[in-house]
This record gives sequence, structure tokens and C-alpha cells, in this order.
Amino acid sequence: MQILRKSGWAGFEKTLKMDRKEVIKKVKESGLNGRSGCNFPTGLKWELMGKGVRYLICNANEGEPGTFKDKFIMEKNPSLLIEGIAIASYAMGIHKTFIYLRGEYSYLKPKLERVIKQSEEYLKKINLKININLGAGSYLCGEETAIMESIEGKRPVVRQKPPYPPEVGLYGKSTCVNNVETLANVPLIFLGGWNNKLELYSLSGDLKKPGVHEVEGGIKLKQIVSLAKPKTEPKIIYFGASGGCLPYKKFENLSVGYKSISEQGCMLNGRGLIICGKNREIVELSKIFTEFFLQENCGYCTPCREGNFRIWELLKKIGCRKGRKSDLNLLQKLAYYISDTSYCALGTSSTNHLKCALKYFKGEFLKLCK
Amino acid sequence: MNGKRVKVKKGETILDIAKRNGINIPTLCYHPDLKPEGKCRICLVEVNGKLVTSCNTKVEEKMEIFTNTKRVLEARRLNMELILSNITYARKDFELIKLAKELGIRKIRFKKHVDNSKGRGPIEIDNHRCILCGRCVQVCQNIQGINNIDFVNRGIFTEVTTPFNIPIKDSPCTFCGQCALYCPENAVRERAFSEKLIKYVENISIVKDSKFSIVQTAPAIRASLGEMFGAEPRTLVTGKMVAALRKIGFDKVFDTDFGADLTIMEEANEFVERIKKNKNLPLLTSCCPSWIRFAEETYPFLLKNISTCKSPQQMFGAIAKTYYAKKIGVKPKDLIVVSIMPCIAKKFEAEKPEMESAGCNDVDIVLTTREIGRMIERKKINFSKFGDGEFDEPLGISSGGGAIFGATGGVTESVLRVIYEIFTDKKLKKVNFKQVRGFEGIRDTEIEMGNKNIKIAIAHGLGNIRKLIESGEWKKYHFIEMMACPGGCIGGGGQPRPTTWEIRKKRIAALYEQDKKMKIRVASHNPAIKKIYKEFLGKPLGKKSEKLLHTKYKKRKPKYF
Repeated sequence: MQILRKSGWAGFEKTLKMDRKEVIKKVKESGLNGRSGCNFPTGLKWELMGKGVRYLICNANEGEPGTFKDKFIMEKNPSLLIEGIAIASYAMGIHKTFIYLRGEYSYLKPKLERVIKQSEEYLKKINLKININLGAGSYLCGEETAIMESIEGKRPVVRQKPPYPPEVGLYGKSTCVNNVETLANVPLIFLGGWNNKLELYSLSGDLKKPGVHEVEGGIKLKQIVSLAKPKTEPKIIYFGASGGCLPYKKFENLSVGYKSISEQGCMLNGRGLIICGKNREIVELSKIFTEFFLQENCGYCTPCREGNFRIWELLKKIGCRKGRKSDLNLLQKLAYYISDTSYCALGTSSTNHLKCALKYFKGEFLKLCK
Repeated sequence: MNGKRVKVKKGETILDIAKRNGINIPTLCYHPDLKPEGKCRICLVEVNGKLVTSCNTKVEEKMEIFTNTKRVLEARRLNMELILSNITYARKDFELIKLAKELGIRKIRFKKHVDNSKGRGPIEIDNHRCILCGRCVQVCQNIQGINNIDFVNRGIFTEVTTPFNIPIKDSPCTFCGQCALYCPENAVRERAFSEKLIKYVENISIVKDSKFSIVQTAPAIRASLGEMFGAEPRTLVTGKMVAALRKIGFDKVFDTDFGADLTIMEEANEFVERIKKNKNLPLLTSCCPSWIRFAEETYPFLLKNISTCKSPQQMFGAIAKTYYAKKIGVKPKDLIVVSIMPCIAKKFEAEKPEMESAGCNDVDIVLTTREIGRMIERKKINFSKFGDGEFDEPLGISSGGGAIFGATGGVTESVLRVIYEIFTDKKLKKVNFKQVRGFEGIRDTEIEMGNKNIKIAIAHGLGNIRKLIESGEWKKYHFIEMMACPGGCIGGGGQPRPTTWEIRKKRIAALYEQDKKMKIRVASHNPAIKKIYKEFLGKPLGKKSEKLLHTKYKKRKPKYF
């Protein structure tokens, strides 16, 4: 796997010989895009940074169900991540970096701390300090501004944008937020022989061989799924909890990429695929995912807080075969308006799975209704 | 906007523009005094094919805004339905229910799920009714700077509470009640006293000779009580209020302005004394119980500077239970003193153990403006068509100085009127000290009195008070007026909702108008005050007044910190 290559700080040494602007230019030319979800060009993000005191935040709060590629990198090749952070900090002239580590990954903290200590001599060269902040288990803290609130010691709530983080970020200063996988790929750019198309996919569900797989982007859905050897014939593919779902049979020849997936009304968030076998019931699955959002929404705005609870209630009713057709209409309306009117990205994507389920599997819902 | 081209200024929100152009956008969590947060998602509009909240979206070029498409209306209605589904509500005049009607909601398809309510301290937070709009949290954090309430938990378990869920009475809360004032749904509210009062009133009518009830009304409520019955914020309803209180069943209706006049006398004399001795300056006013609690908890080093005078309410109570009770021949215990205040902290003050001058609480029951308004309504008294009544004697005669107590700067002005005559030995010709009027959070001025230059500062809103103290600026002055609520008592925590800066300004104007019309403008010219000093108290700062009208402060620690 490309991501497991050991760089041994060779990439960092190379960048030190370059000018800062040159480093950013090279990253831009490489075509590296953010690997967390929105696919924003990394080089451009670095270029947008303001002046004065700046901060870098490494987003290691990987909370999306079915996504575990960042954990994989931090477990198997943490020094590559630290080197990536060092290069990014050098390129943007940053002297303080925060790694916002997911609360559930607390066991990785000593490991990361050890690696940071081992690489002190390199970090000293650019006068960089790396802090590890542990999250407290909030899914919302995967959002960049919620991380900032959390690091500042406040209740994690998404800030209003604009202003965007490069203008007003952590402690009111210009801030860059990058994902673990993005930063881990940075040293490889400078090492040479790096393939931008290789991406990590986390596969889980009814599989014989679940885990992280490195695949070239644009590969067909069928091929990815076959890598993990499904136990039974796959029926539904969930793209994490917030990404929505697709029926496998209809889309098995779909090439997997940000564009092609979003054309189908789904989102490729964090490239986590949850593969559900043929004996799974869509209503039950929808209820499980709704329960997740029920627990994880912050309670800030009405539609997401109250609406998801109502969806859960209705799904429970339908699951018990007590639902009516009017309930199904209400469900559809709720799913539509929650995503339309919520405050943050969690709210707007919280009903993606249900919208897709109602789009592709409405028959199964109808069967359970009176 | 809605197919019309509209001129805008930079930095304006969509809501601002809509208001200016006469387009109605319903809002719930939005409040003109606060930073819009976009929590309730009611003020949605469609911008370039996307739904956004109009309260916190700033206008940009080439925006195409629609305020009443089907998508917008349906989304608003669904969100309102979701909010309503989860609360119990009984009264029809709160903002929320008005809004629900406006949005055309008839039936709610969901059932309630929250099931916890907490009643503790003078303020209670009822999660049955809370819609999590966050106004109270914002007021507590940003305007008052106390940071005593915030959201806890996530998702549908989110609720507003104190740190570590401790009872409000043990928390660092100052009971200013601004949270209750800003609440659109009566979820944060004062602890109800009305039930107790109704029992009292009933008892009074049964055993008439053994119990005697009097009521005092604060200066600030006559300018605001009318709002509860549909009057414009600027109308004074003194006469109607007195008549209505008589109808409720109180034997005598008195005026706290009398207590205020007494406070001015004592405070002015105390100030003159301190100036002469040049000791413990600046003098900080003590009329506001919320500020007193704040100082006792947070700034104990200021306690020696605070005037030892009780607040007008407590002075009135002390006089009523001693002087007045004796005069009419009723035992202090059988005399029930009810006070109607624009304030929630007064409830706490009345229950303080040091506020006893005749073996029982000086003031038995404290009601807020909202509570008395509700009581009048419940008694089915037609307030707006009521004739005018007059205050009873002797505790109902007051000066203009007492009347303006409810406005920020009012205490200062009335004290100035009294000390001018003490300092200069001349009769005050120009009664209005316009320098001290105004609305800025912290303002200062210098006034020449005889051969002395008196430096005065006025702070209102606990956030501003904190600023004034922590910057160290307070040491520069001779006299500082501190009021916990923005705008003074006129914007107090017990006032009718809604209260915005516009309304506060109107109420203040009404008080100054009342002052203008009064015959007696200076407290020391009040015949009732002269009489009581002659008959009973002796002289200001004398032995008796020291005992009855002054109090001591001690350092207090919130129980849990």
C-alpha cells in the first residue's frame, strides 16, 4: 500500500530546501484534494491562509460510522502523518498545530506522542509544537468549526459561515483544518512516485474480509465490494451514516468517485462503505441510522433535533406494522425539510439515508404500512 | 426580493431589509437586542434556490430572495409543528402561540417526549415549555456576563440548566431575571407567588379584623403594566393600576415611590457624610438587590463602598411594619405587605434574614409585573376600561425624585436634587439634571455643587458593571449608580414581555414625563417624608433610621463553588 511507505523524514528534508511558496505550488500541482469529504484542493486551502498568528488543525475525529481509514494510518504509519503536519506547517508558516483526536481513539495518543517525541529534532528546525487534543466523543466535532469550539473549551456547536476558518478560525486566528489522510499523503508527493488516484476505502458490513483497502479512484462498485468478499449477495450499500445509500444490483457497474456518487443523490463522505446483505430490512436499517443521528445531533436547531426524533418514532411505528400511508408521507416530508432547513452539515445530511431509502426501496416501506 | 429590486446597505441581514420594505417574516428565537443565532429555523427564506435563515444571513450581490414560496411556508410550518409538539403551553398571549396562529397550525401530529421540570429558587426553568431558542443563554452570557446557564446534553435531551445542574438558588445566579424577560414561552420564569397571595386575599375577606393587607407598587411598573393589556409602551396606568389593586381586595394601596424618597434622603445624607469625611468613596448605590448579590459573591472588596441603605422596597416594608402598623393599631404579623416589583431579585431580597425589623419579614409577598397582570386578568377585571384611583395616604405621597427611580440614571438624578440643597444651601431652580440621562451602558459626568466637583458614573446591565469594576475605572468617581438590568428597573426581569431596547426607551420617557408633571420634584420637599422624620424617625442617619432603614453586607460564597 502506498500509504504505508516509510518516508523517514526524507520528504520533509527536501521541502526545507525549497521556498514556502514553492512547496504550496508543488502541492497544488500534484492535484491532492482533501480526503475527508468535500474534496477541496489542499494546495488552494493552504494558499488562502491569512497573515499573523496561524494554526493548523489535524482533524483526526473520524466519527462517521463505517469509516476507519484514519485510524488505520495512525496505527500503522503515524510518522508519515507527523511528517505531513511538519511540511504543511512549514509551507504555511505555522508554529502551533493541534491534532484533534477522536475520544474513542484515546489509545492512540501515547503512540502519537512517542512519535512526536522521536521526531523532535526535525520539528525544532521549523520551531513547531504539536498538541494532541482528545475529543469527548461527539460526532459533530468532525466539523472544522466545531473542532475549534471544542479546542477553545466550549460546547461543540458549528459556527456560522462566513467567516470561514482561513479568515477567523481557532481563537479568532487564521486556521487551516486538514484530514489525517490528506496530511499523510503530503510527504509522499515530495518523495516521488506518488499516485494521486490511490485512495483508502473502509469496507464493513456483511463481509468475510472487512477492513481498509487501497483502490484507485474510478473503480467500479462491483470491484470494490468483491475485494472484501461479501458473505451473501449485497443488497444495499451505505456510504457512512450521512452519505445515503444505493441498491447494489442497480448500481454495481457505477464507477466510484465523488462526482458519480453525488449524481445519484448520495455523498462519498470519508469513503466508508457499509455493505448490507440480502437478508437485511431497509426499515430496520433506517431506524438504526436514525438512532445514530438522534444520539449525535447537538440540539442546536429545531428541525434536526426534533425532526430526527419524529423520524425515529415513525420508523418504529412502521416497523411494528402499525404505520399508515399518511405516516409515510409525513416521513418523506420530514426527510426533505430536515435536510433543507437545518443549520449545519450534520443536519442537512442526517436524512440522506432515509431519502435514498424512500427513493429506491419505497415498496418495502409500503408493504409494512396499512 | 420577491421579484422587486431592493437597495441595501452593507452588513444588513435579509430580515432587516424585509422589515424595512414592509415584508413580514415570522421570527421566534430572533430578538432585536441579541445576536441572531438561527436556532429555531422559522425565519426561513429562499435565496437562489436554497433555504436560509433570514435573521443571520447577510445580504450579498445578486441575491434572489423569496419570502413566501410554498417551500418556505411548508418548511416554516413543519418546524413550528416540531417545536410545538414538544411543549406544554397554556396561555395564548405568548409569542410562540401568536406565531403558531400566524403560521396556520391547527393540529400537531406528534406527541410530547420531554418529561422533566425543575422548580428551584426565585427563578425556575421549566423544560416542559422550553423550545431551546437560546435567548436566555445569550442574555446571561453576553449581556449580563454571568454565564450561569447553558445548554447541556445532546439531541432531544438538550436542556438549559445551571453548571452541574445545581439548584439555581445555590448557583452564582444574581436573579436579575433577564433570562425570564427574554424567554418567548414562559419556560424561564419567576417562582409563582400568586397562589399564596390568593389564599391571603381570601383569608382577609373572611377574617377582616385580624388581617390587614397593604400593597406597594414600584415606580417602574406603572409605565409597563398597561402593555399587558394592549396599551402602547409609553402609557402610564397609575390610576387604573391603583383601582384594579383595590378591586383585587387590598385594603390600602401605597406607592414604593415613598420608599424611594426615603431612600434618597438616607442615601444623599450618607453621601454627604462620606464626602465630608472623604471615606469609603465612591459610594455605590444599593437599590438593586441583584447587584448586591453580585457584589457579595464576586466583589467582596466593594462591600464597604456600597451604601448601607436598604432598597426602597425594604424601607417601605420596615416603615409599614413599624410606623404604619402602630398607627393603625395592627400587629406587625397581621399586617401583610405585598409589593409589586418589576424585578425577580426582589423576591430573594424580601426573604433575606436580615430584612426583619418587627419580628417578621418586612415584605411578605413580592409579585412581578407579569404576575399582577395575570392576576388582574384572572379576576376578570376589565383593566382598560377602568376608572382612575388614587394612592392612599400617608405612604402614597411621593416626589418626582421617587418616580424616576425606575430609569437608569434616575437614582443619581434624584440624589443630586437633594444634595444640591445640602451643599449649596440654595433652593434648586433647575431640577432636571439632563447630563445623567441617557442609554449608554456606562456613562459618566461631572457636576459642580457649591465649591465641589462631583464625579458621577452610571452603569446598567451586569456586564457593564463588571466592565466598570474590572477596568479599575470605578475608583475615579465619587458616586456610582449600579443597576443590574439594562435600562434600570424599567427593563427588569419581571416586566411584561416582549421587552426590547425600543420599548425600554419608551418606558423611560414615560417616567420622565410623569416626573415633569409632578408638583413636588425633590424628595426632601415631600410633606409625607417631612412628617415621618418629624413624628417617627428623627433625622436622616439618626438612631432609628439606622436601625430600620440600613443594613449590612457580608461576603457570600455560592454554595457549590
